[in-house]
Amino acid sequence: MTLNIRTESTTPERITLFVEGRLDASNYGPFDSEVQTKLAPLPEGGTVVLDLKDLEYISSAGLRSFAKIRKQMRARNGHTLLLNPQPQVRKVFDIVKAVPVNEIFVTVRELDDYLDQIQRKMMQEDR
Amino acid sequence: MGWRSISIASRLALWALLGSMLVLAISGTILFIHTRDTVLAHTHREAGALARGAASRIEARLDRVVVSTQQLAALIDPSSPDADKLLRQALKANHDLSGLAVAFRPGDGTIAPAPFVSRDSEGRMHGRDLRDDPTHYWQQNWFLGGLTCRKGCWQRPFFSKSRQRWLINFSVAIVRKDKPIGLVNADVSLDWLRDILGTLRKPDGAQAFVMGGDGVYLAHDRHDLTGHPGSPALLKALAARNGAPALLSARHAADLDEASWLYGAPIKGSYWSLGLLVPERRIYAPLRHLFIIDLSIGTLALLCIALMLLLVTRRMLAPLGVLAARAEHIARGETAFELPDIRGRDEVGRLTQSFDTMRQELAAHIEQLTEAVRAQQRLSSELEIAQQIQTSLLPSEHYIEARTTRFELHASLRPARAVGGDLYSYFMLDRHHFCVMVGDVSDKGIPAALFMARTITLAKALAAHTLSPQRMLKRLNQELCVGNESCMFVTLLCGVLDLRRGRFTMASAGHDPIMLCNEDGPRLIDAETGPAIGLDEDAAYPSHTVQLHAGDTLLMYTDGITEATDADMRMYGIERALRVLGQSPRPEKPSEYTHRLLSDLDRFVGSADQADDITILALSWHHTEDDGDTDVLELDLPGRIEDVFAALERCEQTMEASGIPGGVREDVRLVLEELMVNMVEHGHTGRTDGNIRLRLECDDDDVRVSLRDNGHPFNPLETKPPSTDTDGATDPEQVGGFGIHLVRAMASELTYSHDDQGNHLQLRFVNHSRMEPDS
Repeated sequence: MTLNIRTESTTPERITLFVEGRLDASNYGPFDSEVQTKLAPLPEGGTVVLDLKDLEYISSAGLRSFAKIRKQMRARNGHTLLLNPQPQVRKVFDIVKAVPVNEIFVTVRELDDYLDQIQRKMMQEDR
Repeated sequence: MGWRSISIASRLALWALLGSMLVLAISGTILFIHTRDTVLAHTHREAGALARGAASRIEARLDRVVVSTQQLAALIDPSSPDADKLLRQALKANHDLSGLAVAFRPGDGTIAPAPFVSRDSEGRMHGRDLRDDPTHYWQQNWFLGGLTCRKGCWQRPFFSKSRQRWLINFSVAIVRKDKPIGLVNADVSLDWLRDILGTLRKPDGAQAFVMGGDGVYLAHDRHDLTGHPGSPALLKALAARNGAPALLSARHAADLDEASWLYGAPIKGSYWSLGLLVPERRIYAPLRHLFIIDLSIGTLALLCIALMLLLVTRRMLAPLGVLAARAEHIARGETAFELPDIRGRDEVGRLTQSFDTMRQELAAHIEQLTEAVRAQQRLSSELEIAQQIQTSLLPSEHYIEARTTRFELHASLRPARAVGGDLYSYFMLDRHHFCVMVGDVSDKGIPAALFMARTITLAKALAAHTLSPQRMLKRLNQELCVGNESCMFVTLLCGVLDLRRGRFTMASAGHDPIMLCNEDGPRLIDAETGPAIGLDEDAAYPSHTVQLHAGDTLLMYTDGITEATDADMRMYGIERALRVLGQSPRPEKPSEYTHRLLSDLDRFVGSADQADDITILALSWHHTEDDGDTDVLELDLPGRIEDVFAALERCEQTMEASGIPGGVREDVRLVLEELMVNMVEHGHTGRTDGNIRLRLECDDDDVRVSLRDNGHPFNPLETKPPSTDTDGATDPEQVGGFGIHLVRAMASELTYSHDDQGNHLQLRFVNHSRMEPDS
């Protein structure tokens, strides 16, 4: 099973990446470059959501890719949120702690609530 | 209805009747004979006297005739002028005379007058002279015969036609100068004789007669016989008698009508005899009549007595009949019925009372018995069901792994009672592990069976979750200790055979040692055991491992074998078992082990009772060879990243084929990827002969991996875990440490070594879905 990426963009500030298949040392290179092109249009302070519902397997190489995404987004004051990791993948996150626990969500609804919260916070700051 | 079914009363009456009839008949007969003799003697006396009396009367009458005639003979001469007159006087004086005649022999041409005077029936006298008769009297027989009778003699009787009567002559010769010159002849009518006979007071039916000296009847009550000769038998009896009566039969004496007694009496002065014939029948007739009457009355009386006896006995014995019928009721098990009233304290009354008591006690007894039998039946049917249930708890006696025939098992369990406390069980834990257990519950019978059922069910349930007999026994012990107030316990031996390697891991809870039979012969395996299960909840059970070789057989048994006793109470003992099993030829199949041991045991025990349950289980392990679908993967790959991923795919396939669950597979794959990618990317930098050798072994309980590479020495155990930055995420620059960290976190065991061939990593991943954590 190879890796497949689909993107969905509901708002310009937010992009959702559906990562499907396996992400390991054999394919993290192409993944990194594809993600770069997809993240490039995001404005300052944008949000990237990695939907891991169909990600079956991840190794440390994959983790490194996610870490890179996160680092890049932080540099642009953006957020990286993980949605719906499968148990095997979740286990790896838990062991390595490459992503803070509060940035991992189990359902879309949970994620939306969190994003609303951020938006309200930002609006308050703007005012 | 046979004789035996006739009632006692009837039999009693009948026997009494028969008995008294017999007595009556015998005594009657004796009396009859005696009375008959008496009557006969009496008749003899009476008839004899009568005959003699009659004879005397006739004698007297005859005497007068004789005397008259003799006087006349003395008086009359041929010259007597008054001869006629004399005759008439004499005739007148004696009425017995019917006629008188005097006649002389003619002499010298003259014939003296021969007067004859006779009397007719009216009593008139007639006279004539015999010389006038046409016949010459001197030529007549009567005259010639009479001349010879000097004293007088009686002539033959004759029927006088002129006078129409029977007459007899008495002739006396007239003797002068000693010479008979004539005679006096008296005609005597026999009518008076008949009259005399007729006036005799004879017994009924008796006949009297007068017999002349020449054997001719002079008179007879049967008139037709007068003048006829008597039968020789009668004459002989008359002549032979000595005054004693004689019995004549009509067959021998023609002049008799029937058998009669003859009483004779001689009439003196003549040769006559008087006879009296009394028919025998007439003598006994009254007697017979009397006896018939007596007998009838007696019989009637006896019948009455018998009838009374019958009625009385029946009445007395009637309760017996009722009791007999009631006894049949009792025989059918019915005890509620009416008993006859107790009328008295006689035997029947006492019997009735005893019967009543017996009935009541029987009823109570039957009720108890019925209850007991019902309980017994219930118990036995329950026991039967219990036996079926218990049997169903045991697996079949023979088991051979159908797919690979890597081992074979044969077990035998003989309960001493319907249900028992011995148990054995076996089952495959997974494809490569076979669990077997043999146990013995303390005690026997139902309590033991219940405990056995609990043990075997629990043990099976627990064994399914562990591969370790040690842990299984510990858990089982904890479970069985709970609420074991009766302190029942079970000794149990549990073992798990690894079918691939022949490793038998076992733990024993106070059970008899296991026996190993290999080419060196049988021997006991001395393994440390824990306490029996159910007593101490903190007990621990040490594990012991036996390495089997192909063809080895393990024997498990209960003390029912070693402690079996023969009739002399000697124990079988384990030494004998070892000796028997060690005899050549060595058994080949498990069933041969069990059969040999059990048949020897049977010979030893003989007729003695089996005291304890007997169980024996033999397990033979056949071979070590892998069974084709190998679970081992060995790869030798060059140090390139695409080869690494190809190898990872192979590993994945191998694990999947071995049934390793997805979670473990992912872990293994992740770890191997991290390690091998690390080797390729860091270990082999600057070289082209990079090489990785991988060996992966899949078991049901774990996955073992051996990794060798010829790269730079690198001990993953010595790298530090990655640090986390302030917001809780790992710095991506340190991400190289991620992999090693994952490896350490995910592998259950990890060892590293380095030698001249390079790095050697050994990893083990425990299959947690099969193994439970140690408690």
